[in-house]
Amino acid sequence: MKNVLIIGSGISGLSCAISCAELGMKATILSPYVSERAQSVLAAGGINAVLDHSEDSIESHIEDTLKGGAYIAGTESVKGLCTNAPDVVRWLERLGTVFTRENGEISRRAFGGQSHNRTCYCGAATGKQIVTALTMEARRFEGKGLIRRMIRCDFYSALIKDGRCYGAVVFNENTGKMELIRADALVIAAGGQNALFGKTTGSQLCDGYAAGRLFMQGVDLKNLEFIQYHPTTIKTVHKKMLVSEAARGEGGRLYYLDGDRRVYFMEDKFGPGGNLMPRDIVSKCIYETHKQVYLDVTFLGKETILKKIPEIYELCQKYYGIDISQESIPVDPSVHFFMGGIAVRNNHETNIKDLYAVGECASIYHGANRLGGNSLLAAAYSGRVAAASIAKSAEEKTASDDEFKDELKAAQDVLTNNGGTKDRLTVKYVRDMLAQIMNRELGIVRCEEELKKGIEDIEYYIGVADETVPDDAELPYYTYSLKAILVLAKAVLICAQERRESRGAHLRSDHPETDDGFKAPTIISYDDGRFTVTYDREGRYES
Amino acid sequence: MRVRILRQESPDSSPYWQEFTYECSADQTVAGMLEEMNSLDDLKDAEGKKVPHIIWECSCLQGMCGACAMVINGQPALACETFIRNIKGDLITLEPLRKFPTIKDLAVDRSIIQEKLLQENAYIEEYKGSDSKEYDHQYLAGKCLKCGLCLEICPNYKGSRRFYGAAFANDCYLIETRSDVHKKDIKKSYDDHFAAGCSKSLACVDVCPMKIPTLASMAKMNRIK
Repeated sequence: MKNVLIIGSGISGLSCAISCAELGMKATILSPYVSERAQSVLAAGGINAVLDHSEDSIESHIEDTLKGGAYIAGTESVKGLCTNAPDVVRWLERLGTVFTRENGEISRRAFGGQSHNRTCYCGAATGKQIVTALTMEARRFEGKGLIRRMIRCDFYSALIKDGRCYGAVVFNENTGKMELIRADALVIAAGGQNALFGKTTGSQLCDGYAAGRLFMQGVDLKNLEFIQYHPTTIKTVHKKMLVSEAARGEGGRLYYLDGDRRVYFMEDKFGPGGNLMPRDIVSKCIYETHKQVYLDVTFLGKETILKKIPEIYELCQKYYGIDISQESIPVDPSVHFFMGGIAVRNNHETNIKDLYAVGECASIYHGANRLGGNSLLAAAYSGRVAAASIAKSAEEKTASDDEFKDELKAAQDVLTNNGGTKDRLTVKYVRDMLAQIMNRELGIVRCEEELKKGIEDIEYYIGVADETVPDDAELPYYTYSLKAILVLAKAVLICAQERRESRGAHLRSDHPETDDGFKAPTIISYDDGRFTVTYDREGRYES
Repeated sequence: MRVRILRQESPDSSPYWQEFTYECSADQTVAGMLEEMNSLDDLKDAEGKKVPHIIWECSCLQGMCGACAMVINGQPALACETFIRNIKGDLITLEPLRKFPTIKDLAVDRSIIQEKLLQENAYIEEYKGSDSKEYDHQYLAGKCLKCGLCLEICPNYKGSRRFYGAAFANDCYLIETRSDVHKKDIKKSYDDHFAAGCSKSLACVDVCPMKIPTLASMAKMNRIK
């Protein structure tokens, strides 16, 4: 029986584990916490699928997704995503996801950049309800011995030999030791790269380490410069919080004040559907107002607000002290999602055989900008695609632990390494500086000079990363993850510097036009400290 | 403001109180305050002695993941939902949830919640289809964070030997109303591991950050013959 090791316990990891079990394989889900803590529970608005063909069509979903991504996502992979979306939603429904319903069918709402109402939802807690259903289903297979959970464990590195993956080295918090876990396939489901920016709308647990570490081990990354600024977030003292697109899906209007006059700038520019333009366009337009922008849902009335978007009502009341049935919400764009990540082919395999990536850490469907409702879809779908591919192609491996004793020894040495003697900066300080640099140089609009400065600054911290002072209270993960996160940050900045055009979520003040010479995904690779950027015009990853 | 934290270096060591003097915005949450304190290179106690940073669990920081459940001024609560402005007086005490083994400082091991659900086969198996009458209730039950606050405050929960508490009861409800295959078994588990031990203090209902109507779950489950 094949053994699959999955790093991450959110929707993509759960979906992959359940699919592996359904296909007669054994899956181990490894994560620092239980699934209830995963970032997936924050996904509010919904999941896209064409369930009613009377007006909508799969072709329209495909075209909207490709167009929303500024035409650099692969047509075949997007076709697969959208064509299978109804099956994915029906599968989630069968597992008991509590979808909101009207007249017996799953309710759908409008989301940005879509020509029809195709975002299926569970109130404004869609991700949470899906996690609940998948966790129960995973438990069924846990009982049968086909899924095993390893909680309080952290990824360290992949076991790679001759272009093939044999499992991973992990840090077990329970024993305080590094451990080898051999597997016939390794699936990374570790989420986005939030830690690069310090505070985002997402979870503190998603830090990009796995992508950074794998990059240093020879795995290609893709489209890193495309970072989604969600147009409607509120800034509280301790976090930037998302006001779900569901608010605009239910009719919410964006405006700024010119004196006492409300200027509905999105509607003025794009007509009645202006508030539901794709997120990259809305964020850009908000940025260009240079004013405080407000989101108004008061006209919906308290009853509708409490029925359709109760979580948004509660969030704004609790953390912002406003009653959104009475007042508009002051909103700002903030970092929300990473279109870039680990480069995968259509079966979600990386350039290393038997090493897969799924969910937000993989870059495949969203091109230069993701449409709302497509991330939950991609998370659930990608886990299933990876499992199917592993069932078909991965071989049961006979390698012994002994073959990887050097990798284990090197990992164990990391735990006893107390840093060097010069530049005794603390890990916390370097992480804070990283977030400052990234927020400064990778805003909604970027330019050559700032990106260059960002790269130089990050290079300095990469140079001293091995000599930082570990925090004696924190887990070793907090220290050993630092360098790979910094290397990932440098890769992001290089990709942003190299793409000298504006496309989707990547806007350059010095190159404001879209240039068809760049109409291809960015691939970045790493070899002993050297970063190489290419553009996948031949569709290497589109097969 | 004085901040007293019950600290513990490892699962086997003895807990001890440590006091800090710390000022932060009234709009800050306890979670935000802990983050601020931990962002200091040199965290010093009230006597000016350098001490290790405080270990606690956090993920979403906005009341949606349940990681930061702890005991704040004697009351179980999520740190990210407890605002400094609502603290009475100038003393905040922070303790780990006491009904779970402490891992370190304010971080506890809540895996027993999942273990009991696994032991009792708490899953649907075959979904029998939606029931519009149950939608609102199921939606709320589906939001359970497995944070452990309901177990911490429950006078009957003493470490899950036989009585598994409200988190278990609500999952039983979710399964019973959506599974034909599994409903008898889950009803028996509910009777054995919830109904037999619940004295109906309903403290679990008040403390739940998701406002799950556990009383309604109980009413539904108790009616089943």
